[in-house]
Amino acid sequence: MALLPSYSYSESIAPYFGSTGNAVTDQSLRWSMGDILPDPPGLDINGVIYSYTINKDVDDQVDVHVQNENALGTGYIFRETDRWMPGSLSGTGINKVVPVVPGIPRAAWGEGSIEVEGEGSVSDPTVRYTYRVDPCFDPQFDPNCPGYKTPVPDIPTIDLSSLYDVTNDENVNLNRETELTEESDEDEKTEEELAEEEEEEEKDREQRLEDALAEAGRSEMFAQALAQSQILASVNAATNMNSYYSTSIAGGTYKENVVLVDKDLPNSKRGLRNGLAQQLLHEKMIDMQYNR
Amino acid sequence: MKKQTIGFVALLLASTSWALAEDVPIEGTVQSRCVIQTDTAGVYGNPNAYTLTTDPSDGGALAIIRFDVTLADAYKAEITAPSSFSSSPPLPDVVTWTGDTEVDAVSDASGMGSYETDKVEQGLKDIYDLTATGSTWFKTSSVATMGGSKAFPGGNYTALVVAECIAQ
Repeated sequence: MALLPSYSYSESIAPYFGSTGNAVTDQSLRWSMGDILPDPPGLDINGVIYSYTINKDVDDQVDVHVQNENALGTGYIFRETDRWMPGSLSGTGINKVVPVVPGIPRAAWGEGSIEVEGEGSVSDPTVRYTYRVDPCFDPQFDPNCPGYKTPVPDIPTIDLSSLYDVTNDENVNLNRETELTEESDEDEKTEEELAEEEEEEEKDREQRLEDALAEAGRSEMFAQALAQSQILASVNAATNMNSYYSTSIAGGTYKENVVLVDKDLPNSKRGLRNGLAQQLLHEKMIDMQYNR
Repeated sequence: MKKQTIGFVALLLASTSWALAEDVPIEGTVQSRCVIQTDTAGVYGNPNAYTLTTDPSDGGALAIIRFDVTLADAYKAEITAPSSFSSSPPLPDVVTWTGDTEVDAVSDASGMGSYETDKVEQGLKDIYDLTATGSTWFKTSSVATMGGSKAFPGGNYTALVVAECIAQ
């Protein structure tokens, strides 16, 4: 039990295995690993499974290489050679599973190919890669991954002196400070200065009073004009009514002078229908009273 | 009475001797180093009324047998194509059998590539020396022809390929 790993993996972070499809898709017998390997990081190729049928004369020797170039250097990161000796018959197939040393970086797996050396060829080739994916390759993938670190937000350092400080703004009037300043100014002023200020304030007061009175005078004049116009309007109205009051109507008989031209004025059919229904109902009620 | 005593003593000695003995078992398990598996079961096609064949061009399928060997030069593969039906409807005449076994695929080109050329044929039986470790796939064909060009009666037919791994 002591040898058991101390980490307990949840289902989502447990390593899983898979295999690619056939990498050989055309007669060129070459393929790009980027086209066949899936995307997730932490992918580690652990085997190559391939098959093909050799075509050659029985007396020939043919070497077939299934290989991947080293994308991070020279040579091959993987190379498996099948040596078909004289005596082996054409049409014989090969099915092979080749384990790969784990831990080869994914980026090192360069272009793959099947290379034939000698007088021969291959047919029906298939090459598949088996792999293992460790979701916790990046510990930050999941909080349950070993080595996971709780992310700390990256807070940039700011030079506070470069920030706007309202207290240093000359255009901002901070009342409290102003009052304090005024109070302090008040304390510092001399009697002459105070007398001058009082005199100026007195002048201002007089000026404000004058302005107010002038405004009041203008308002009074406006009100008087309005009242006068209303009086004139009422006088004119009284004058107009008098003409009616003074009219006299001559006595005598006034005959009807409106004559209806139609001799027969038919009743409305709608009203007739309604009236007939009411009449019938009325007669029915009367008959009921007399038990008829 | 003496005899009895002797007899008793003798019996006592014998008993003591037997009680001191210990049977120590030696156990072991031999794992098979040659495993045979059916990779693909064969199918008979019926190109005409009197022939059953596994030829794919006639609608049949070859039987594929896989031999896995983990010890080189220790076994021979003996594969025998069918020579009779294990189950069939009553047949109206004698059936003639032909068959053959070939290497279909190997897991080691250099070590197993010559299995086919080196095989020994004994009628319907083909014998291969399994000189290398790894897997070898053999394919077996079979053709059954009804005598007198009579038709095979309708029904299900089963024939068996016998594959054996014989220690050398």
